[in-house]
Amino acid sequence: MIRFENVTKTYKAGTVALQDVSIDIDKGEFVFLVGPSGSGKTTFIRLLLREETPDQGRIWVAGREIAHLSPWRIPYLRRNIGCVFQDFRLLPNRTVFENVAFALEVIGRPRHVIEGQVPQVLDLVGLAGKRDSLPGELSGGEQQRVAVARAFVNRPLLLIADEPTGNLDPATSQGIMRLLDRINRTGTTVVIATHDAGIVDQMRRRVVELHRGELVRDQERGVYGYGT
Amino acid sequence: MAVSVEYVTRETATNLWRNRLMTVAAVLTVAVSLSLVGVSLLLRQGVAQATTQWQNGVNVLVFLDAVPAAPAAPTAQQHTIYQQLVQLPYVKSCLYRDQAYDLGEAQRLLDPSAASVLNVASTPASWRCVLSQPSEAQAIARQFNGFPGVQEVQYPQKQIRTMETVVHVLDAVFLVLAVILLLSAAVLILNTIRLAIFARRREVSVMRLVGATNWFIRIPFMFEGIVQGLAGALVAVLVTVALHVVLDHFAGHNASSLLYRMRTPAGDVATTAILVGMIGVVIGAAGSAIGIRRFLES
Ligand SMILES: Nc1ncnc2c1ncn2[C@@H]1O[C@H](COP(=O)(O)OP(=O)(O)O)[C@@H](O)[C@H]1O
Ligand SMILES: [Mg+2]
Repeated sequence: MIRFENVTKTYKAGTVALQDVSIDIDKGEFVFLVGPSGSGKTTFIRLLLREETPDQGRIWVAGREIAHLSPWRIPYLRRNIGCVFQDFRLLPNRTVFENVAFALEVIGRPRHVIEGQVPQVLDLVGLAGKRDSLPGELSGGEQQRVAVARAFVNRPLLLIADEPTGNLDPATSQGIMRLLDRINRTGTTVVIATHDAGIVDQMRRRVVELHRGELVRDQERGVYGYGT
Repeated sequence: MAVSVEYVTRETATNLWRNRLMTVAAVLTVAVSLSLVGVSLLLRQGVAQATTQWQNGVNVLVFLDAVPAAPAAPTAQQHTIYQQLVQLPYVKSCLYRDQAYDLGEAQRLLDPSAASVLNVASTPASWRCVLSQPSEAQAIARQFNGFPGVQEVQYPQKQIRTMETVVHVLDAVFLVLAVILLLSAAVLILNTIRLAIFARRREVSVMRLVGATNWFIRIPFMFEGIVQGLAGALVAVLVTVALHVVLDHFAGHNASSLLYRMRTPAGDVATTAILVGMIGVVIGAAGSAIGIRRFLES
């Protein structure tokens, strides 16, 4: 599903954000990308979304090499990738339903598809009763569920999350992780960048650790810190 | 990939409403500048119209010394002048207008107080000649001025030239103003687009994230600019047509008045309206295209 081959990314200022990173993630896997702030996790995700291009190396997503993708194909790449962020990125003046529907509307999905898929995914994230609320009327955890619903409504092959629990308390974080786990069990590949040791230790899934842009650990059923 | 009409209409309307002050400013600027363009186009057509009317008609008027008896037919001397005239290579034909006719015409053309001092005995008769080469009028005038029995040779081209000069100056001033205003209109439209994009930066970033195509993101902003350009153009078309109607009204039915001669056919007005509309759309599209390029590129 995802393959990095000797990927190096240096920003203009000269910061080396990723250094010769190679990794394979298979379809249906659930992977934590861990490491302290500044270790290169967000850069990894931005490369996947083709918001950045690597200086060296190659990247495949769903069988397609994306480092040299022509710009007009980028939107179609992104339709295969659902994305969740620490700050939710909801539209404050649209309801829960509209926020989720927006993701389908702007890729040209017809009305009847939207009417069918949005209630389904709201049901999945447990927000069927809040479809007409505005984001400002929801708790942080609920807002993040809306974001997950929006990321998943188009049934992407891959769901990535950058610090999805960064703004949430531990109990709420657990709920979000259970939701992502359920989504993973539908066959969707899930990649979560986090420095939240609690959720990583609790889930016991594959852990890939970055340190100053280098891949220093890749462990099945791992925990946040070193060792097992 | 379907961009629904409903979506574009809704987004465009929202954008225009959010930036209504800027929108009004942009529309008014387009309207003023395109009104100038429209009026100057009408002026040009009017001049062309007047010129052809004159040139298809009489090109040279040879006014003859008045004969107190005011005869209805040319005198012997006047006949000699006629023969000299028609043997010139460019003169097609010449028609005699007696003193009574010319008096009548003068009374129609001049204002009543000036006309009241005229009388038939002192009004010159005239030979009115049509040329195969209207530009030769000046040469003929030079040759026959001062000729025995000739009072004065007039050629309407002189008037046309004066009118053309006046209109060309007006035209140039209008066009320069119009171009400056059109540029400011484009900048204003660009600015409303920038504001609209800024107001929607969250939406735009989510659209990018979920894989909306660039065209899908751009079209509502593009439409916003085009709607502004078109709205301004519509106002300008109304102004131009209104001006045309008013001038037509004042031109009345006096065949020799300048306004009457400059009357443009309705078809030409329609062409002007279409042209003005198209310039409006182009300005709107250009303004928003630049705005989008500058503020929407990732
Ligand atoms: N747009 C950028 N321009 C310059 N440097 C950047 C940019 N984004 C990230 N960096 C730098 O790259 C390194 C990795 O950052 P990042 O990928 O955001 O790490 P993480 O998400 O693990 O905190 C950091 O040193 C950061 O300062
Ligand atoms: Mg980060």
